[in-house]
Amino acid sequence: MNHRPFEYWLLEDQPLTGEQERELQAHLRGCTSCAAIAESNLALHSTRMVSPAEGFVSRFEIHLARQRKTARVRQIFGALIFVLAGLALLYWYASPFIRDVMSSPAGWITSVVGYLLFMLTSLQVLSELSRVSFHLVLDFVSPLGWFAILFLVSGLGLLEALFIRRFVRTPQGV
Amino acid sequence: MDEELTWVLQAQHGNDEAFTKLVEAYQTHVYNLCYRMLGEAESAEDAAQETFLRAYQHLHRYDQKRPFGTWLLSIAAHYCIDRLRRRKFSMISMDADEDENTLELPDADAPNPESEMMHSEQREHLQGLLKRLDGTDRAAIVMRYWHDCSESEIAEALHLTVSAVKSRLHRARRELAGLWQDDHPQPKPERRPHESPAF
Repeated sequence: MNHRPFEYWLLEDQPLTGEQERELQAHLRGCTSCAAIAESNLALHSTRMVSPAEGFVSRFEIHLARQRKTARVRQIFGALIFVLAGLALLYWYASPFIRDVMSSPAGWITSVVGYLLFMLTSLQVLSELSRVSFHLVLDFVSPLGWFAILFLVSGLGLLEALFIRRFVRTPQGV
Repeated sequence: MDEELTWVLQAQHGNDEAFTKLVEAYQTHVYNLCYRMLGEAESAEDAAQETFLRAYQHLHRYDQKRPFGTWLLSIAAHYCIDRLRRRKFSMISMDADEDENTLELPDADAPNPESEMMHSEQREHLQGLLKRLDGTDRAAIVMRYWHDCSESEIAEALHLTVSAVKSRLHRARRELAGLWQDDHPQPKPERRPHESPAF
């Protein structure tokens, strides 16, 4: 028997029959490379677990508490910086406006009312325009045409959903 | 429902006491893996602490279908592999000073102190050889021989296929044997006519 099966038995490290064990022992006497695998196997099988130093759990609790404190401090500082930056930005943006209001309140009120009136009128014009164009489009296409368009769109939607589903896999958990 | 799963569920709902019980139960497993991977007591302690912290922070991502121990070992192994990679980049030599680190001392209660001493030396030597393996191979060997993990568990923990684990284990064991042979040279036996010419 050549060397390969013995090496395989040793590497597989599975229990052997009595006959296989005898053959292996005979082979090991003459093969230094398999003998080295067998010796390292023995050493691996005589290994032991190493335990941490006493008080590992309490050290972990301290570590966890410290971690939480750091996270909390970081959160508070983050929020503070965010608020301060927001306030500074607001001040920078609004300061000319505030100065204007303070210098002539009546002029400011007039301009605000004018702006609101402009917005209101624009909205009215827009709604009237959209209403008229909607009627125009509805009359332009026949009811059968609308049915065909809706059928086509829903068919395309269904196809896309099926296509996406084929390629999406549920993610593996950690 | 077993006790461990109860602790996990309680810990997932923010019960710190339950998580402490899990730390108590798995401290040796995690520490041992880190120690075998990194070869130093201090680094192993840091790595084990970091493993439990990461587990605590990502407990919501734990899939209850998997054994909790394997999940923890997976976190520990990946953390240690990263640390080894960083060590490699920072070009710090592990060999010179780390060989002095204490490993298990011989058990005083052992029936035969002499043979125990010999085994202890063997184990110490083996630890030295482990350091020369690639990080992932080392993790596979430690999980297989120290933690009795199956090939599929190792595959799951190290994000490899079962066949990749098998081939990594074979390669690592061959490498270990080669290193073992280099350190314990034996007289080369005469080749017998029926054996392969390579030996």
